[in-house]
Amino acid sequence: MNKLSLLACAVLIVGCGTPATYKDPNGRELVVSLDKVNIQDFATAGSQMLQSMVSSPSFSKGAPVLQLGSITNDTADNFDTSLLLSKITVPLVNAGRVTLLDNDATANAARAASGSKADVPHAEYVLKGKILEDRSNAGSTRQSSFVFQLTLVEVKRGVAVWQEEKLVTKQGTKNAVGF
Amino acid sequence: MKKILPLLALGLLAGCTTILETGDRIERGLTPPDAVNYATTKPEGGFSTQLNDNRIGNKIELLAARKSKTDGGYSRVQFDLRNGAYLSQTINVSFEWLAADGSVTESQPNWIVTPLEPGALTTITATALKAQSAECRLRLISR
Repeated sequence: MNKLSLLACAVLIVGCGTPATYKDPNGRELVVSLDKVNIQDFATAGSQMLQSMVSSPSFSKGAPVLQLGSITNDTADNFDTSLLLSKITVPLVNAGRVTLLDNDATANAARAASGSKADVPHAEYVLKGKILEDRSNAGSTRQSSFVFQLTLVEVKRGVAVWQEEKLVTKQGTKNAVGF
Repeated sequence: MKKILPLLALGLLAGCTTILETGDRIERGLTPPDAVNYATTKPEGGFSTQLNDNRIGNKIELLAARKSKTDGGYSRVQFDLRNGAYLSQTINVSFEWLAADGSVTESQPNWIVTPLEPGALTTITATALKAQSAECRLRLISR
């Protein structure tokens, strides 16, 4: 009987897990975490900020030359901020709406060495930003807010020509799957 | 020991099941998932709808779709949505752009979650990135 019971326990423990399956990264069955920025949060904030950015006068004509500045991650979570920036730059570059300067050291050195040659593009705008978080709780209910801030700076005049802030707020007692 | 092991097994078994705690969870368990609905702007103005989930009609009203052009000549559409129910609703929207021949030119596939209080209005604005994008197809799921 003892052996049977142990076997039953082992079977039940093994049977408890949910096997991993592929999910649509834009679908409704993604994990929603209270303590971190989820992949769909970057997508939501990024696409909303993209919509705001292309509506600004700086993007009304032509393909301005854009350079990516720093995006400060001021949250407790460790992630690559290009998760946010790529949601903005990929559609813009592919649609021909911006000329995006490569940001690595070699490209920067080449541009510096070229001086003011007409055929070498120089940044007209720099996109920079910050990601912040705020956490609070009431009893067992936890709430996390992540704030995405972006600023577009016109290099020539050194002034901010566009700014946007998007909040993603999640509330609950535990992580879940779905909207 | 003999009594403890079956009890442990029962506990583990209980942990495996989904516990329906609230009315909302029970509803989710009993009803099929919400289908995707569409609203597409028309070249002559206005919009057409394709409702695949009739339940959304009792929750969200699509009041208007306004088309305009940006200074650079790109299409821009604004959809006005209203929560017509007596309860708070969450509407999830995404959209894609179509060329004049109906082909898809660009899309924003991720869902934007928009909670709406009873009676609340919201405006979804979509601006095209490509010049050939002419009509906007809004995708909606309630909840």
